[in-house]
Amino acid sequence: MKGYYGEYGGQFVAETLIGALDELEEAFKRFKKDRYARKELNDLFKNYAGRPTPLYYAKNLSDYLGCEVYLKREDLLHSGAHKLNNTLGQAILTKFMDKKRIIAETGAGQHGVATATAAALLGIECVVYMGKVDAKRQRPNLLRMRLLGADVRIVEKGSMTLKSAINEALRDWVRNVQNTHYILGSVVGPYPFPEIVAYFQSVIGKEAKRQILSQAKRLPDCVVACVGGGSNAIGVFKGFLKDDVELIGVEAGGESLELGRHSATLTEGKPGILHGALSYLLQDEFGQVVNVHSISAGLDYPGVGPEHSYLKNTGRVKYGVCFDNEALEGFKVLSRLEGIIPALESAHAVGYVVKSRDYFKGKTVVINISGRGDKDLGIIEALEGNGV
Amino acid sequence: MCKVGIYLVCDYPDRSRFLEAIKLCDELGVDFLEIGIPFSDPTADGDTIERAALEVLEREGMDDFYDALKSAREIFNRKLYVMTYANVVYSNGIENFAKRFSFIDGVILADVPFRESKRFKDIFKKYGIGFVYFVTPETDFETLERIKASANDFIYFVSIRGTTGGEFCLDGDAINRLELLKESEQDVIIGFGIKTRNDVRKACKYADGVVIGTEAVKSLASDKLGEFLKSVID
Repeated sequence: MKGYYGEYGGQFVAETLIGALDELEEAFKRFKKDRYARKELNDLFKNYAGRPTPLYYAKNLSDYLGCEVYLKREDLLHSGAHKLNNTLGQAILTKFMDKKRIIAETGAGQHGVATATAAALLGIECVVYMGKVDAKRQRPNLLRMRLLGADVRIVEKGSMTLKSAINEALRDWVRNVQNTHYILGSVVGPYPFPEIVAYFQSVIGKEAKRQILSQAKRLPDCVVACVGGGSNAIGVFKGFLKDDVELIGVEAGGESLELGRHSATLTEGKPGILHGALSYLLQDEFGQVVNVHSISAGLDYPGVGPEHSYLKNTGRVKYGVCFDNEALEGFKVLSRLEGIIPALESAHAVGYVVKSRDYFKGKTVVINISGRGDKDLGIIEALEGNGV
Repeated sequence: MCKVGIYLVCDYPDRSRFLEAIKLCDELGVDFLEIGIPFSDPTADGDTIERAALEVLEREGMDDFYDALKSAREIFNRKLYVMTYANVVYSNGIENFAKRFSFIDGVILADVPFRESKRFKDIFKKYGIGFVYFVTPETDFETLERIKASANDFIYFVSIRGTTGGEFCLDGDAINRLELLKESEQDVIIGFGIKTRNDVRKACKYADGVVIGTEAVKSLASDKLGEFLKSVID
């Protein structure tokens, strides 16, 4: 059925937004057929954002773990994470639809920064919603957004994290839908957002496949990526879905798998409807969405993209869990052994491989380093004091 | 004849004042009631209703809402609707929800547009529960005709772009669609942004009635629901 991945997806939004979703789908179709628009995006990818990002053979980490580790360096993309792939694409869609205003939600702040960046570049007004908790723990990104000219609105309702930011962005969109495009930052939300975001992020997987074939002369055994909403994971998986490659999505296990202490939606949730899509959801027995936790603001979300729910059910992708302390271990190992400070989100993918090193022994593994960790130094400092 | 419906958040501000409000609505001739079952993420609601809903959720769950609605059913003699969000109905099976709440007249799901409604509507129908469709000033004419043809309960016309609690107005696009809905067999009820008797009169030039939410919730919170109802009902 249109708009669905198996039984997941759909358009569970107020009737008021249906017209805007149809308009967006139409614009996306036109974009894909428009050679000049695609060229505009490719030029921006190459000359502005710094694509292709390297695939780096991490020798020290490989020696340490006893497997062959390649890192896809989305942390080197302009603005510090993979998020810019999507925001540049959707900013061009905004121009296609002749809308004058962009809104976005942000958790870790990377999507907010990437949206503010694209908006500054294309000269479009930009409003970003950010939960109060996240604004505090990811303060460097709050400051970056403001420098880039975005109007950052702090949300002091509900969980005051990513979920609350999406609620407010949706409300803004309903009010201003005629002149505003909502740039959703992950493969979540009503159709066609999961499709559009996956399309723009698939550049990660396409490059990674070409690069590993060139460097290792073979496909990897496994590709590992962290999953919050799931955009960097879908992006890198898209390059390998049809190949005999094991795909592993790593969710945030938080402090423990007790409901409320983690964000492992696919591992512990059940199907439900939130933010426009039917997908796995962390909820109580009556369908109320529960509070979640992760040390990483970008993974601290009770839902997940509907395509991931589908990929879980078909068994094509395996989903595992990395706890806060294991992610911190991954964060430190990568920093010390390779001189690469990953975002705490990406550190979950690293931490998963580190803790499962027996499983990965002798294998060739691609880990998607979705972002860089500068934004997280405050969290590390708060946890461990100045003697990091 | 202009129908006036009132929206109240279930068990807000508390059980006894909620049930008193239902009784008042019955006595003062409110034509139908919409009772909101709170949801953790009410993206179609403005601040007033969101705050009320989250306050209730802090202390109550689905079993409480069931009890409250059962009591409301006994008190209120005209049509009683539940308004909530898709996941509240979906999470434990739509059929289980419909079976349990078969004593209500209809259901309104704020995040279920016409194109996603079939799986809900079909099951509710089996239990004699109507399903309310939304029409907005942007609804395309083809969809509008399909809604008109398949509606089995009133049609909810969303008069403004925005969440609950905004300002009431009807622009050309809205009036255009309301004219087309006039020949519908079902009532057309205008909601979102209606606060005063003047708004009610204006709306009823084009529709069969109105529903008032935010202002009712506000007045109930300040113990002035009776006054408010008298001020809007002719």
